[in-house]
Amino acid sequence: MAQRFLILEDGSAYPGIGFGAGATTTGEIVFNTSMLGYQEIITNQIYHNQLIVFSQPIVGSIGIAHDGYESILPTTKGVVVRDVTAISKNRQRSLSLDKFLKQHNIPGISGIDTRHLIRKLQQTGTIKGSIVDVADDHAFDQLHATVLTNQQVAQVATPRPYPNPNQGYNVVVIDFGLKHGILRQLSKRDCNVTVLPWQATAQDIINLDPDGVILSTGPGSPLDLPQSVLEMIQTIQQRMPLFAIGLGHELFALANGSEVSPLKLAHHGANHPIRKIITNEIIYAMEGQEFVVNPDSVNRDRLITTYVDLIDGSIQGLRHRDYPAFSVQFFPDGAPGPNDSVDLFDEFMEIMGTRE
Amino acid sequence: MDNTIQKILIIGGGPTEVGHETELDAACLQVIQAFKKLGIRPLLIDNNPFSAALESVQPTNMFIQAITVENVQRIIEREQPDAILPTVGGVLAISVIQELQENGVLADNGVQTLGIPSDALMDINNPDRLNRILSEAGAPVIATETVGTLDEAVNVAAQIGYPVIVKPIAPRIDTNRILCDNEAELISAVTRGFAWSRFKQCVIEQSIVGYKEVELVSIRDVMGTQVLVAGLENIDPIGIHSGDSMVVTPTLTLSNAEYQELRDAAFAINNQFNFTGVVHTHFALHASQDRFYVTKVTPYNDRGTSLAAVATGYPIAYVAANLYLNQKITDVRLPEIYHFKQTALLEPSLDHVVVRIPIWPFEDIPNADQHLGTVMKSVGSTIGVGRSMEEAILKALRSSQFSPQDELPSMSDLSDTQIISQLIHPLSSRILVLIEALRRGYQVDELNELTKIDPFYFVKLNHILTIEEQIRQQPMDVTALQQGRYYGFGDGMIARIWHTDIDTVRALGQSNHILPTYKGIEPSAGELLHSPTSYYSTFEFENESEQISDQSVLVLGRGGNQLGPNASADYFTTEMLKQLRKSGYKTIIMNTNPNAGSLSATASDKQIIDPVQLGDIMNVIEIEHPVKIFVPGNRHYLTRELRNRHYPVSVLPPDQEKRTHLETNHAEIGLDLFVTPGHIVPILVSDLQSDQGLATTLDQITLMRAPASIDETQLNRLLAHAKEYLAEHKRTGMVQLLYTNDTTNQLQFAGIRPTRLTTIAYLNKVTGINWVRMLVRQALGEIREDLIATLPVDIHSTRRSQVRGTFPFKQLQLPDQLGLTTQEVGARISFESLPELIDEPDNK
Amino acid sequence: MAKVVVDAMAMQRALTRITYEIIEHNKGIDGLVILGIKTRGIYLAERIANRLKQLENATVPVGELDVTKYRDDIEHDSTENDPKVTVSKIDFPITDKKVILVDDVLYTGRTIRAAMSAIMDLGRPQQINLAVLVDRGHRELPIRADFVGKNIPSSQHERIKVSVSEIDGQDSVEIIDR
Repeated sequence: MAQRFLILEDGSAYPGIGFGAGATTTGEIVFNTSMLGYQEIITNQIYHNQLIVFSQPIVGSIGIAHDGYESILPTTKGVVVRDVTAISKNRQRSLSLDKFLKQHNIPGISGIDTRHLIRKLQQTGTIKGSIVDVADDHAFDQLHATVLTNQQVAQVATPRPYPNPNQGYNVVVIDFGLKHGILRQLSKRDCNVTVLPWQATAQDIINLDPDGVILSTGPGSPLDLPQSVLEMIQTIQQRMPLFAIGLGHELFALANGSEVSPLKLAHHGANHPIRKIITNEIIYAMEGQEFVVNPDSVNRDRLITTYVDLIDGSIQGLRHRDYPAFSVQFFPDGAPGPNDSVDLFDEFMEIMGTRE
Repeated sequence: MDNTIQKILIIGGGPTEVGHETELDAACLQVIQAFKKLGIRPLLIDNNPFSAALESVQPTNMFIQAITVENVQRIIEREQPDAILPTVGGVLAISVIQELQENGVLADNGVQTLGIPSDALMDINNPDRLNRILSEAGAPVIATETVGTLDEAVNVAAQIGYPVIVKPIAPRIDTNRILCDNEAELISAVTRGFAWSRFKQCVIEQSIVGYKEVELVSIRDVMGTQVLVAGLENIDPIGIHSGDSMVVTPTLTLSNAEYQELRDAAFAINNQFNFTGVVHTHFALHASQDRFYVTKVTPYNDRGTSLAAVATGYPIAYVAANLYLNQKITDVRLPEIYHFKQTALLEPSLDHVVVRIPIWPFEDIPNADQHLGTVMKSVGSTIGVGRSMEEAILKALRSSQFSPQDELPSMSDLSDTQIISQLIHPLSSRILVLIEALRRGYQVDELNELTKIDPFYFVKLNHILTIEEQIRQQPMDVTALQQGRYYGFGDGMIARIWHTDIDTVRALGQSNHILPTYKGIEPSAGELLHSPTSYYSTFEFENESEQISDQSVLVLGRGGNQLGPNASADYFTTEMLKQLRKSGYKTIIMNTNPNAGSLSATASDKQIIDPVQLGDIMNVIEIEHPVKIFVPGNRHYLTRELRNRHYPVSVLPPDQEKRTHLETNHAEIGLDLFVTPGHIVPILVSDLQSDQGLATTLDQITLMRAPASIDETQLNRLLAHAKEYLAEHKRTGMVQLLYTNDTTNQLQFAGIRPTRLTTIAYLNKVTGINWVRMLVRQALGEIREDLIATLPVDIHSTRRSQVRGTFPFKQLQLPDQLGLTTQEVGARISFESLPELIDEPDNK
Repeated sequence: MAKVVVDAMAMQRALTRITYEIIEHNKGIDGLVILGIKTRGIYLAERIANRLKQLENATVPVGELDVTKYRDDIEHDSTENDPKVTVSKIDFPITDKKVILVDDVLYTGRTIRAAMSAIMDLGRPQQINLAVLVDRGHRELPIRADFVGKNIPSSQHERIKVSVSEIDGQDSVEIIDR
């Protein structure tokens, strides 16, 4: 295992030990404070173009598991940790996190003072970084010169439709970089799912005559997606039950006249209390957001705020006043994270049920 | 909030014993602080002389009495409290309150129980009823059957098939489970179980030995809002009592799906029972079959909740106290020192690892069976905090071994047969044997098979050996030192491997900038910037702990609890910290006992959770430059080394062994005095006895009773002698002069010794003067001689009182034997105000 | 034999959904009043009102309706014929209001018909909508619920038992075979 460096846009360089792939990569630095579920986090496509800093001090301790994939082909730019352990628990005892990252050409770096990095990011806000072999001027030049794509959704979302057949409700999932947790929850509820590419039009959806539509999670900025996506939402929400998650939630807000703006610092973690306004319950859920709905911009004649984060005050859920359409910023499917809000999928089933 | 509650009777933890040490008192203290802040009057019953909680209530609210149904009933009838709190008194409090509920005392006096609803109180330690409720909550439980006779037990066990587990119903002590492999063991276990059970009943269930044991600590309010504070993972599998297991937090070998399943189950159970406050839920997980069972539900403070609090920096007991009064978690305001947005709602997220290693009393009680099993035997524990498993486990290990020079004992003498036998039937040397096995080349899979310990831990232990080898191969090498320190090796260990001294190692570190960086222990994993009060060291990039003040005092804790004077040492340390603050110093405590009240965030200005070893202490000194360092009296090597380096060292708590001068090893009368250069203050004269009557040697003296059975003339003669003796032999501090009756019934001088810590705690309660604080002030040079003369101490007082040591023999399944001072696990005191309680028989 | 068909969580969800549907249907909560039919309908009505208050930060009046003496299938004691003797508690006007009538189970429809009679005696609302936790079918009158928590097609031999935590200690709907 060779020495490698994590370098940041602000000129700092941290030596560490490389693991996973030996590739040199650049991305935004984001951190995740979840205490478990490294495999789910690494395979979540919301981290496309990003380097994930883990606050959990040890990753790799349970290897790679069948039920831990949130996508089959992860596209994160790197994994930054304090400590990595080569454990494999699969049938052949041969798939450690290190090997998994090699297979997907994702570099990792261990031995980093991740607590320091996380504290530092509070001050710098989201910045770019690279995992490199040598922290020289050239490396920094490359880092500064790298322009990250804003076509993340197009990069990770499915290019063509595919089915996940079952006997229950007909649900169309629009894939913006879908995490598998959503499919898992629909599967558990016997839904007959059709996943459509993110460019699907309202007519494409209506042609399939579904009972309901889910707008999936995904990477990047909702502001970088074309107007046609918002138009699709505006039409569909009038026609059938709609449930939007993560990036889907941000798009749902935009489609209904709200503003969405980037956070100074992305928030990824499962430890914030979230108030479910209608019942005043407190729940916990995995949050993974770089954008937030601007509360002042929410048109109260059209939308009701349904969930709010009690630590940073951010809007975590919305519902349309006139249609059975609702959204959450957090990930109700867990994976990783608490299941406190997983019954939002049941709520969605029941809404579809009333319209039979 | 419930405003009808103005007065709450708190059932204290009672004397320290196997099963609980200082954690109950530490929680009790926090609860009292919270109650006071809410304007509620707390009443406290406890007879533990080492209770810091007792010190925090007004004398009129303090009931120094044994925790029995009769005593609690009498207090209820006399004081008419609005509510009673069962959650800081361990299993004894639960069982006492159960009885008071059954016999109608609570209802008759309109007393409500806090935290645990009445129904739940009857269910939680009755396995049969517990299982029924758990099933209703949808939580998986093991099939069990209740038996009331030996015949039934034998039949049921035959049906289930051996091995089976026996659990007494509504036990009076923390017994947990007894594993039986055959009928003979079953009969023995059930017989014991019937004796422990209040209903003479036991439950027999299928064995889940070898499963992974995981515990969750959660809090819940009256609205049903819940916060999962921590997950604790036992390294040792089911079959070893969780109190005797090495425990890790956060959980490291659980998948997200497994963990969330347990979280859901814990929350569902809490809802089903309608608990408020803190709940500690135990689970057994089958490693590969995706199956789990709930094994125990403890809706009160215990060693698990205290570990969770120390590991996360989340003030569990304080928050729970608010929740008992039906306050909502959303409305709980945390004290200023908890800066995480002051909300009790942030679910703790850790960026460090904490390992807890138990401490067993076998050195002092060599005739006890040292095998670890389903009955708890440890009397204390230490924790290690680190940024890697290696670092955390090494630190915990270094603290648990009490090696003066920070070395780990070698197991190289064991034969291979012994190794295998001890892998299967672990002894208290468990962790050292695991390391030795790896050293001899045992494979991870093989060890996993033999021990049922997750392979992850062997991989980590193996890595420690690799680093050790690297250090050995490269003497005085900078990288080796860096790696060694990074993974938790102490300077003393490294010095020994390199056959050099600690200063050489430290100089190498200094000149190569291999310096400790302190990290905050707080629940947001660095997400919310603030300065916590609690820190641990590691060797990374950023240091968060700056010098707190140029007027600081560093207090070194005794580490994990052992037998003997250690039981009282934490009380002593807590009181020291209070006085130091009062004297205007910023206080820094260094300790590793997760149950220590002295380690709570409110007790000092800064807490450093690192091994109390020379290198680690000097690391702290080099940042803090304290004006004074208090070293406990038992750490002779440390005292000497720190003095050699010209640090401002004071020894407190006082050395118990040194400065003892004896004419004879036998005494019947003790005269305790506080001595300053200008004054001799006689405090108490008492009869000295063993636990079973006459003491033939000094170390048998574990009972003191006042006033002594001497007349006024004799007393005056003793006082005169003491004065004369101390004029001749200069001493300061607290001393006990010993006397013995000769054949003519004349008192003869037997010797002088430092007043025992147990005795000091007792003297505090008897005189109402805090002698610990006097000793601290003496060490700080703050004693005013003119005020000493006016201390309100009456050596002629006729108030009757006594203190007696308690011993762990019953729990260690030893025949009743004469306890020695070195074997005391705790102590209990009593006063004359309730004459019938004096000298009651040991009801354990 | 009792079988739980709606558990506590599902009941919470059903009420949440009904609340949103009420907002959707009425374009807000202006002019809304809620009348719960005793006994359990009252608690359900209060829960819906609480939810509306949480969401809209405005109080919707809740009244209690006792329809016993309006039932055409129950024989009445002649001494109770005084129309002023009523145990309904409605201390607000309902004329020109949008009334949401709330009951636990919709079965024959006779209770609802009686409730509408009772309401008409009190004033002339702008509209009346019906919200029920359970619709079990077997209507004897042409009545339909606007908001349904759960449709539970049941046989007439079965009994539907709704429990609410306020008085029954738990939230559930059970089918009991008699």
